[in-house]
Amino acid sequence: MTTIVHVVNQFFAGFGGEDKAGMSVGVIEEAAGAARGLQSQLGAETKVACTIYYGDNYFHEHSEEAIKAILEAVRSQGAQALVAGPAFNSGRYGMSCIEICHAVATTLEIPCVTSMHEENPAIGTYRDLADPRVFCLPTTETAAGMTDALKALAKFVSRLARGETIGPALQEGYFSRGIRRLEKTDRSGADRAIDMLLKKINHEPFTTEVPMEAWDDIAPAPPLDNLKARNIAVITTSGVVPWGNPDRFKTYRNTHWRKYNIAELKELEPGKWEAVHGGYNVAYMNKNPHYGVPLDALRSLESEGVIGAGKLYPAYYVIPGNQGSPAVMRRVGQEIAADLKKDNVEGVLFVAT
Amino acid sequence: MSKELEKAGLPVALVSAMYPVAEQVRANRIVKGVSIPHPCGDPSLPQDLDTRLRREIVQTALRALESEVTGPTLFTPNMAVSG
Repeated sequence: MTTIVHVVNQFFAGFGGEDKAGMSVGVIEEAAGAARGLQSQLGAETKVACTIYYGDNYFHEHSEEAIKAILEAVRSQGAQALVAGPAFNSGRYGMSCIEICHAVATTLEIPCVTSMHEENPAIGTYRDLADPRVFCLPTTETAAGMTDALKALAKFVSRLARGETIGPALQEGYFSRGIRRLEKTDRSGADRAIDMLLKKINHEPFTTEVPMEAWDDIAPAPPLDNLKARNIAVITTSGVVPWGNPDRFKTYRNTHWRKYNIAELKELEPGKWEAVHGGYNVAYMNKNPHYGVPLDALRSLESEGVIGAGKLYPAYYVIPGNQGSPAVMRRVGQEIAADLKKDNVEGVLFVAT
Repeated sequence: MSKELEKAGLPVALVSAMYPVAEQVRANRIVKGVSIPHPCGDPSLPQDLDTRLRREIVQTALRALESEVTGPTLFTPNMAVSG
């Protein structure tokens, strides 16, 4: 006999919709709402010890307290696994399911499963977290697919609770997290690659062992007309910072950005700047920081009127890009964009190493 | 990062020596940089030519900002300026 807990929002716990979305975290010491459906799919071997619920808005407005309360409730049950959702295509609910699973998996080391529609924006967060103890199964877009969703969750969570090893995403049907595992095989990489190449040449289907991440297209921002009237800023991921690295950037996986004043400067003098970056040889950049922040060229173009006088933003922005996670870089991009918009910057020269 | 800036309506000229990666992650205005450790210039050149090359790269980036594009587009600086 194994025990699990089920975490749902106020709606699926049976309290009500938007008018109840402000409810704080609560515990019902039995299977309630959607958890009752889950229990009926689980059979006698696995028991839902309790139903934990929270208001959709409450979670996002008080996420620290909410997660703390949920962790306490889960810990007190001594459960072997956790189910959150299904969230279908609700972004707010999906996000809280992923965050709860990740918090429980990392803090209590309990495996978790949730489920939602493939277009739920929380899937992006799930992939970025790539938590080996968190699994997310696909559902239909709406709660019309509730029975099937609960069936799939029940089957999966029973296996988690029994401590079964879960196979790769393609075999098991959960959304891929991009985690790679070592596998034994009796054929060398060269053999397998030649096989794939031959299949490719013969237009036969084959499965790559190293899938590339898919990236969204973003509509290009409109071009600048009358360039010399436009405010331009420089951003760099080269890691060029004032000598001494005053804001303590690391050589990898940074999570913050800074901007450094260049308003009075005609050029970046060697010895006053250094590059902090673990992904390339910084010797050239240290000798001549213009390789990362081409201030000399910008100033000469400014003196010739190609860039308007005073139109170069008085500071440049930097975060050393080495091993930056896509999630962090997205946030940093949003924060810098907001800062630039506030100061009416209209175009960006971005130097990436 | 550059895509978040474009989402906010700011055109970005992305100078990178890893332009195939920039294309792969769907950046829109990409300027071919010289090399990963020195995108804006070439330390093997005499200083005046290095400076001239850097200026060409920055001018190419400015031209990219002025250009209408519909998707990932590569702008190549004229390396001949460095002799």
